[in-house]
Amino acid sequence: MTPLRQGGIAAVTFAQGLALVPPLAVVLANEGAPQIALLLTALIAALFWEGLFTVLRKKPVTANGLTTALIAAILVPADLPLWQLAVALSLGVILAELIFGGRGFGFLSPATVSLALLLFSFPQTVLRPITPDLALATLPGALLLLAFGLLSWRAAASFIAALFAFIALTGGPLDPAATLTAISFALIFLICDPFAAATTNPGRWLYGALAGGLALVFAGGTIPPMAALISAALFAGIVAPLIDHLVVLADAERRRRRLG
Amino acid sequence: MAEARFRIRKGLAIGRSKPPADPSIRAALPTRIALIGADYPGLRPAFEVAEGDTVTRGQVLFRDRKHREVAVTAPMAGRVTGLDYGPRRTLALLTIERTAEPSETGTPNITTTRETLLASGLWPAFRTRPYGYIPGPDDHPQAIVVNAVRTNPAAPDPRLVIADALDAFAEGLRRLTELTDGPVFLAREPGAPLTAPIDGVQDATFTGTSAAGLSGTQINRLHRAGPDRQVWSIGYQDVTAIGQLFQTGTPPGDRIVAITGPLARAPALIRTRLGADLRQLAAGHITQGTPCRLLSGDATFGAEAAFLRRADDQITLAPPARPTRGWRSALTRHAAITPTARLDRALALDIHAVPLMRALAIGDTETAERLGCLELIEEDVAALTALCTSGADYPRLLREVLDQLAEEAA
Repeated sequence: MTPLRQGGIAAVTFAQGLALVPPLAVVLANEGAPQIALLLTALIAALFWEGLFTVLRKKPVTANGLTTALIAAILVPADLPLWQLAVALSLGVILAELIFGGRGFGFLSPATVSLALLLFSFPQTVLRPITPDLALATLPGALLLLAFGLLSWRAAASFIAALFAFIALTGGPLDPAATLTAISFALIFLICDPFAAATTNPGRWLYGALAGGLALVFAGGTIPPMAALISAALFAGIVAPLIDHLVVLADAERRRRRLG
Repeated sequence: MAEARFRIRKGLAIGRSKPPADPSIRAALPTRIALIGADYPGLRPAFEVAEGDTVTRGQVLFRDRKHREVAVTAPMAGRVTGLDYGPRRTLALLTIERTAEPSETGTPNITTTRETLLASGLWPAFRTRPYGYIPGPDDHPQAIVVNAVRTNPAAPDPRLVIADALDAFAEGLRRLTELTDGPVFLAREPGAPLTAPIDGVQDATFTGTSAAGLSGTQINRLHRAGPDRQVWSIGYQDVTAIGQLFQTGTPPGDRIVAITGPLARAPALIRTRLGADLRQLAAGHITQGTPCRLLSGDATFGAEAAFLRRADDQITLAPPARPTRGWRSALTRHAAITPTARLDRALALDIHAVPLMRALAIGDTETAERLGCLELIEEDVAALTALCTSGADYPRLLREVLDQLAEEAA
């Protein structure tokens, strides 16, 4: 494991961006020119607002919106109007990240918020379902993020366990391979985003389980579509700070009992 | 009686460095030493000497304004050449230069253990948990933990240093048992016991990560500290100094340190004085012709310094830090915390690291206390700074929070 300290947040963004390259390559190869236009739109929208905010606030210029743009470019359908993507990303990065002071100061993933806004505002949008080749392409990135500690295995394991447990409890047909394929990308890059997930170890277990449960509730079937995963990531992310707070309170109570 | 064994799994891994090849300890008396204010946290000095005064070894230099019994004494005879104040009349630096005819012997007044330690200048060797202060003259700890665990292979071997003055060390341990109604713990490395059994002293062995060598970790495992559970820590060399004070009347001031680091010609052990001028100590050991940074402490946690810090038993000769180029320093100024999985393994205590870092960064004393920061002192959180993307100085932030909590508790 390599320390990220020297590179700061920029190194984190670089590692996450690197992890997104294989799935992006798969999507671009399959879809061609329209998807490249979407990618450029996403990059311009995300980085323009980040640049504007940092310049106006006289802060050092950052480019953390890179990961937001890449995630959006991978998940949006090739026939999405460019202006819709630009609007959703602009609102997403501003509301979820930039008004808090940039990456690491907010509590939600700007990619999750952007995609949620896209789905709420333009309900006819159907995000890209994760095909097996795309799921495979996320694996090297997942390993990279795990090595850097940027993907919490606790949250991921808890999400998968909770999802499968709820499927089994509701008596639905369980197809682990199909379900894992469908959730792979959203789990790795949205739900387990270190800035959005809970930050205590007990909190990570709870957060993953909550997101897994929500994903099934929103899915209405055993294979959650991308929209259900986005909603689950959004709501679990909103609750994550509360989960951490409760974990800290419980911990303080335990400490008080032991030490008087 | 079998000793308690603790294996510390969390904390930073121990770095690779070579122990000194030659285990003999050479004397290296510096011509200049300094007492550093930061080594006496929470102490506001009332000086008993002025610039230009000649002092003997063991002579009182200043006392704590709040507790006049607590004295700080000269580790070396000489002349006081500098006396700098820090903010709010705290001590910044007091320098002493060795004079031509060193009258090294002061004769300490031996009375009860407590009074003698207070008057001799050895009292500041203790640090309290909670808060990490020098204990008050009337404090009675529930336990005292002696730290004889070395986690940096290049640091002096406690076993070797203790064997060098075994009787004094045992006497020091006996004296410690008179300061507390509770146990005195000797935290040491595995192997044969360091001393014959002593009444009231319990052995405990620590192995594992570099956190095993932190007094905070040892106290957490042996006798947890809390608001109404005061525990003291002390280093093994100071215990030897206590024994020597009572046995032979030697005033404190000796320190055995290892000179190490990539630029040290050959790692070596020397017997010097507290606060010794690092440039003088390094002079004979440095690889010629290369610019060099002098660190008091090890390569990971040591800080660039001019004088040996009280808590350190190692000097690192490191190559100069590479200047950060423009774009890189611009990138790292975005001071956000990345909640990585590694941060949760950085502290050996059951404390949630990321919430603690956030509480410290914004000075949220209530949350920090809830999270258990009273069990920590500066050295315990140095690992967080080493891993964090924000570049925040958590030891300094923790000190501010602890000072505020102590003020509220008083």
